[in-house]
Amino acid sequence: MSRKRLVQGLVWLGLTLLPLFIGEWQTLQLAQFLTYGLFAMSLALAWGRLGLLSFGHALFFGLGAYAMALATMGRLPGLEAFPSSWLGLALACLVPWATAQLLGFFLFHGRGLRGAYFGITMLALAVLAERLTQGTAWLGGLNGLIGVPPLALGLDGGGPALLDPLPTYWVMLGVAFAVFLGLEMLLASSRGLAMTAVRENEDRLGFLGYDVAAIKRHGFALSAAIAGLAGALFASQFGFVSPKLIGFGLSAEVLIWTALGGREMLLAAFFGALLLSWTETVLAGLLGAYWLLALAALLVLSVLFFERGFVAGILTLLSRGRRPGRR
Amino acid sequence: MGADLVLALLDAANFVLAIILVAMGLMVVFGMMRIINMAHGELFLLGAYALLVVQGLGGSFWLALVLGPLVVGLVGLLLEVLVIRHLYGRVLDSILATWGLSLLIRQTVILWFGPQSRVVAAPFDLRLDILGQPFPAYRLFIMGVSLAVILFCFWLFHRTRLGLAARATIADRATAEAMGIDSRGLDRLTFAFGAALAGLAGVVMAPLLSVDPQMGLGFLIPAFLAILTGGAGELMGVVTGGVVVGGSQSLVARVASPAVAELVVLGLAILVIRLLPNGLVGQFRRRR
Repeated sequence: MSRKRLVQGLVWLGLTLLPLFIGEWQTLQLAQFLTYGLFAMSLALAWGRLGLLSFGHALFFGLGAYAMALATMGRLPGLEAFPSSWLGLALACLVPWATAQLLGFFLFHGRGLRGAYFGITMLALAVLAERLTQGTAWLGGLNGLIGVPPLALGLDGGGPALLDPLPTYWVMLGVAFAVFLGLEMLLASSRGLAMTAVRENEDRLGFLGYDVAAIKRHGFALSAAIAGLAGALFASQFGFVSPKLIGFGLSAEVLIWTALGGREMLLAAFFGALLLSWTETVLAGLLGAYWLLALAALLVLSVLFFERGFVAGILTLLSRGRRPGRR
Repeated sequence: MGADLVLALLDAANFVLAIILVAMGLMVVFGMMRIINMAHGELFLLGAYALLVVQGLGGSFWLALVLGPLVVGLVGLLLEVLVIRHLYGRVLDSILATWGLSLLIRQTVILWFGPQSRVVAAPFDLRLDILGQPFPAYRLFIMGVSLAVILFCFWLFHRTRLGLAARATIADRATAEAMGIDSRGLDRLTFAFGAALAGLAGVVMAPLLSVDPQMGLGFLIPAFLAILTGGAGELMGVVTGGVVVGGSQSLVARVASPAVAELVVLGLAILVIRLLPNGLVGQFRRRR
């Protein structure tokens, strides 16, 4: 157990020190990828723990990003004069959370919707949300909203803003680490154990008297809130939100990151997202369209032969030490 | 007014039958093998590109109509042997893996043909006069093909020994094997048949659509919704679901906008799934 903690600590320490050795531009890029990592963690919570394979998780990421953009750009009716980053962050968590709660009431309660049906419903929702966003002028339509300001400390959107690469990177990393710690604590608690039990055998959990639908709904809403937070942080760094953030493409990517990283291990999903987006930027020029082809092939292979994910496999190996047989 | 109504109904019927045509292969694979085939849209896509290639080489539409399903059926056979057979009984994994396959196929198509959209020609450009309004005859042809496919599937699964063996395998695999049924062979055959149906749908629908690598997704979702609302697991379900989903989408799109129609259909589908988890057909049939 302690060895596992050591490996986790080393990963976070390495990530903290990393920007000291790379250029400013790369630091800024990595800071953006950290929000992808956060997003992947949220999916790992829903999919790896609760067994909710969400094919449209970008719905929540996009809701968060748009909430942030609307709030900080003063496009919210009645709140035009109060473009606060804090308000944006709060809304970016609250809106996806409420959406997921509502969806949860419809999809999980009663006879409920399981496995595949749920995944497809989420896919349809994300595709639809993308199309609706494209057609809504208030949300910038096809072009999206340009000019989302960076995070500002002041309550009304004034005060010092987060612009420089190093602080931005560390703030993003800090948020990711805080979320990671919080989720690890949750998952280690009896509540978290119940969530894992949903994945393993929800019927049996139901027989034991647990309210399976409520566990799913709350877990899903928590995952949605984290995805929204990731979206908001992404928007404030990128300065631009577009319908792509809410739809099919990003949903597909986050699923691949999480699957290849490791869906049952938060850190593995997080690191997988970081690693894959990083590799993509390095190799994009070289490989072009072959990159996605390779990813898809890897995904199929990992589902067939290595379900736990590659990063998770490496982390487990490291935590176990040299003699895996004996402990 | 009367002519408008007739045209609206004809449009709706056209859309309904198109969805059923696409959903049929999906349904066969899901109903018979419990595999959710997310790559179905891309098999449909391959059918459309088969037509593109055949026409590019100077072949006729009718040649493609024969070759397309054959080629896509072979691709399906290959997929079954390489990937799908590892996935029986693992529903969640089956969607993930087939979804990886769908990306794989789509990317291959992009690499091969480029991302741009293309146009293929319909075999005939006839317009019929229906109550004073022109209506393309090719659409009637599609409706005919869809009806033929529906009838053929009912005949195949309910009137032939092969269909009986396939249904016996779903009902009780072990007993079916004990009776001498080659269940592995049936798996391969069923998946290849489902793929061939997707290929056929692709060839037939391509002249009405712009042929591009993203076209599969657009039909996958309504097809899935049709199966969900109709009730997964039986042929009647896909027909009912197709009527409900296709009909409501087409009619709402006429009075409101296409985006609103999709929203309404999705909401309707969620409501049906919530209230009748076995689908419209499954709910009214006493079984299991």
